[in-house]
Amino acid sequence: MNLPERPGAFSPQEPDRPNPLPRPDGEFEALEKAWKAPRGLSFITAVNNTYVGLWYVATAFLFFILAGILALIMRAQLAAPESDLVGHDLYNQLFTMHGTVMMFLFAVPAVEAASVYLLPNMQAARDLPFPRLSAYAFWAYFVGGLVFFGTIFFGLSPDGGWFMYPPLTGSKYSPAENADWWLLGIGFIEISAIAGAIEIIVGVMKTRAVGMSLDKLPVYSWAMLVFAVMIVIGFPAIILGTLLLEMERAFDWPFFIAERGGDPLLWQHLFWFFGHPEVYIIFLPATGMVSMIVPAMAQTPLVGYRLVVLALIATGFLSFGLWVHHMFATGLPKMSLSFFSAASTAVAVPSGIQVFAWIATIASGRMKLTTPSLFVIGFLFIFTLGGLTGVMVAMAPFDWQAHDSYFVVAHLHYVLIGGMVFPLFAAFYYWVPVASKRALSERLGRWVFGLMFLGVNVTFLPMHVTGLIGMPRRVYTYPVGMGWDALNLVSTVGAFMIAAGVAVFLVDLARNFRFAGEDNAGNVWNAGTLEWLPNGNYATRSIPAVVSRDPLWDQPNLPKDVEDGRYYLPGTATGGREALVTSPFDATPQYILQIPGPGWQPVLAALFTAAFFLLLTVKLVMLSVVCGVLAVGCVIWWLWETDPGPVRPPAHIGGGIVVPVYVTGPMNHSWWAMIVLMVVYGMVFTCLIFSYLFLWLVNPGAWPPRGVDLPERLWPVASAMLYLASAALIAMASRILRGDDRRSPRSVPILIAAALLLVSGASATDLWAQWRTGLSPSTHAYGAAVYAIVSLQIFFVLTTLVMGLYTIARWLAGRLDSIRRTTFDNTMLFWSYTVGQGLVGLAVVHGFPRLIGGL
Amino acid sequence: MTRRRTGQVALMLAGLLAWAVQFTVIYGATSTLCGLDRADATLLGTGAVQAVILITTFAAFLAAAAALSWSLRTQRRMSGQAAPADRFMTQAGALIGGLSLIAILWQGLPALILPACA
Repeated sequence: MNLPERPGAFSPQEPDRPNPLPRPDGEFEALEKAWKAPRGLSFITAVNNTYVGLWYVATAFLFFILAGILALIMRAQLAAPESDLVGHDLYNQLFTMHGTVMMFLFAVPAVEAASVYLLPNMQAARDLPFPRLSAYAFWAYFVGGLVFFGTIFFGLSPDGGWFMYPPLTGSKYSPAENADWWLLGIGFIEISAIAGAIEIIVGVMKTRAVGMSLDKLPVYSWAMLVFAVMIVIGFPAIILGTLLLEMERAFDWPFFIAERGGDPLLWQHLFWFFGHPEVYIIFLPATGMVSMIVPAMAQTPLVGYRLVVLALIATGFLSFGLWVHHMFATGLPKMSLSFFSAASTAVAVPSGIQVFAWIATIASGRMKLTTPSLFVIGFLFIFTLGGLTGVMVAMAPFDWQAHDSYFVVAHLHYVLIGGMVFPLFAAFYYWVPVASKRALSERLGRWVFGLMFLGVNVTFLPMHVTGLIGMPRRVYTYPVGMGWDALNLVSTVGAFMIAAGVAVFLVDLARNFRFAGEDNAGNVWNAGTLEWLPNGNYATRSIPAVVSRDPLWDQPNLPKDVEDGRYYLPGTATGGREALVTSPFDATPQYILQIPGPGWQPVLAALFTAAFFLLLTVKLVMLSVVCGVLAVGCVIWWLWETDPGPVRPPAHIGGGIVVPVYVTGPMNHSWWAMIVLMVVYGMVFTCLIFSYLFLWLVNPGAWPPRGVDLPERLWPVASAMLYLASAALIAMASRILRGDDRRSPRSVPILIAAALLLVSGASATDLWAQWRTGLSPSTHAYGAAVYAIVSLQIFFVLTTLVMGLYTIARWLAGRLDSIRRTTFDNTMLFWSYTVGQGLVGLAVVHGFPRLIGGL
Repeated sequence: MTRRRTGQVALMLAGLLAWAVQFTVIYGATSTLCGLDRADATLLGTGAVQAVILITTFAAFLAAAAALSWSLRTQRRMSGQAAPADRFMTQAGALIGGLSLIAILWQGLPALILPACA
């Protein structure tokens, strides 16, 4: 391979090495031992990001191939008119599964998986802060995903399209379980994605190389940070949507049934509030990858770093203003459509900024036409074309013409394949040398690129015309003489060219990919970022201090010094697995995070979580509940070993820096995770309140409907008082737990138990207040909306109950005191959230109908 | 995260937050007024929908402009000793503020062109 010379970037002064040589005997061996992967059957309990990340990527790629095979079957069916290769029923399942699997089981998991592998390496962290959470997310996805995909072999796959619009997917028109597979079957995917997002946010903000302040953060980390925040904001909408539709199907609560005050458009709002950002959720990580690959290939720093970061953040915001552009044909007022049309065109600006930054970087360096470069160029070409047709369909009048036609199919494939698949293949070819003993073949890589690039254009370019001359999407066949025959045949040929490209890639993988522990292929591209440092299971031997965004270019001795253990934390301070937590802005060392190692708990918890959802789908309710309880039990077993407390005094990590091995409060990583989790809950609740208000707007004169009385004011007031009293007791327990006296005061568990009674009483009071009025959840959308809010609150109270009892159990076991109090803090945060949500829920359910009484 | 840092993040994102609030208010108000058949309602002598959009757009524009101005002033005042992260966030805040001004105006433009609830 013809590799470029070292780039002539600026050379800021290297920092002093914080640790001297030689290193003490046994230091490295202890580090290796702490991070050693389990052997034999226990290997599946490994939690290192290097293992879980690779399994995750491989599984996501497996789903890419499986969903691709479904696409080939569809293309074979459409190659000729009036074909009877597959019937309409199977075809419906094929296109639904193709879209669902590509979006939920391939695209989001693939970019999350890549980041599980790459982020810690790129930030020189030993691992992500919650490795067991990564393992849990992976196993839930792996097991649940395979079972979900297996439904296609039994005719049980969902068949309502990947966006599952009611009323088609309601129980009236889809009485079979196919739709339930979609609604419940992907529940674990949502949990998995959110678990990953929490991990990524905390990982990017808290576990970085020393000195890697925000201005030196790799663009990929920025992209993943924005990606994760978008998941936290966007995914709750689909979680709530699936919950409401499943409640309608299972219990006849009419959220989407127009005859009883519901509205199918509510589903479209909830789905697309998630669905459109979803496009950017998979696109932004891909752009992050491109922003790492282009500088390495051009051997020059990225042009316009600040502008690229701006573009990532702006895309993250603006992409939430686009969702109604999927609903242009639903008859909404033109003024409303125009807001989304405006945002849809505005979002092209940040995308354009990134494209120009990459072009400028290529122009300012000397780009070598390696396989990753070819895929990046292919990405620029294909994605830009998809972006241009995107601006076309952002215009409502044009969209009305092209809606639900093959033009839209062409557009979305140009955007998604160009914007995500090509960068992912570029990433495979670029980063495989980090994970493998050998790089992939450049010769085969060019074949892969050529076949895929031609294949994509041969498949999808004609589809623009097929759509414009009238072929609707999602038809299993078409009559002769419509003028669609030749175009469809060409598209089918193109699809098989893409498949041939993917097949060559698999051959390349089989021939060249050899998993590497410590002897990877090395920095074959002469890249400047930290993932190319020598590493092993423990990541880098010592945690480097960096002075620029391309430290390997600007600190020539860095790889050797890091490997020799001359930087921070070259061993293990506690004897176990550790990460160095740094401050979120300046990346100065804060404390040593004790990381849990391998264990069966996350694997079993994931299996039971997947089983819970899957068994619920086939209506094995009791068995499902048992699995749910077991899943919670496994999580508790897993948590029991966490929150270890200060197992030793503060430790020296080098350079005279001494950091504690345990902290509590807002500096603690799990505090951050709880805050992010609360944002997720808050978004679910916000979407539910939006649904309540939306349904009110559908029924402005019937809120509540005639004959329904509101509970007397006394009831919500009593409920609110109980909530507040429970919060006060928890605050009191928190105060008692302060200070340095580690004797656990007896009043703490008593206060928690009393608070549990109060919070349970609060939600029970509200439920009783509604029930005694005779309000039914199935008669009208009003009752359904009210009981949905009450039910969600009961779910949170039950969770509080579990957390409260768990906290008491830790106190009883001597695992909770004024110093070792992270568990209590987490419970307290959750408690505050539950109380806050309860109060807002009461205000809406009881206050809003009274407020609008005159309307 | 300290209060100072929280404030810095909020200021860095202020322009886009202003856009988000503007977007939510104008879409919410339009949907509500149209959903309640109040297309002909008036406010300050003009159609209520248009008035809400224009007032909200003006307020959001002012907020984004203030954030931009604050970022630019802070940037000028910063000494060479300022922490790189601080410098970066101020510069990012200015860029975000500038982009947001355009986005906010673009978002409010339909009020001058289209009827309220047709």
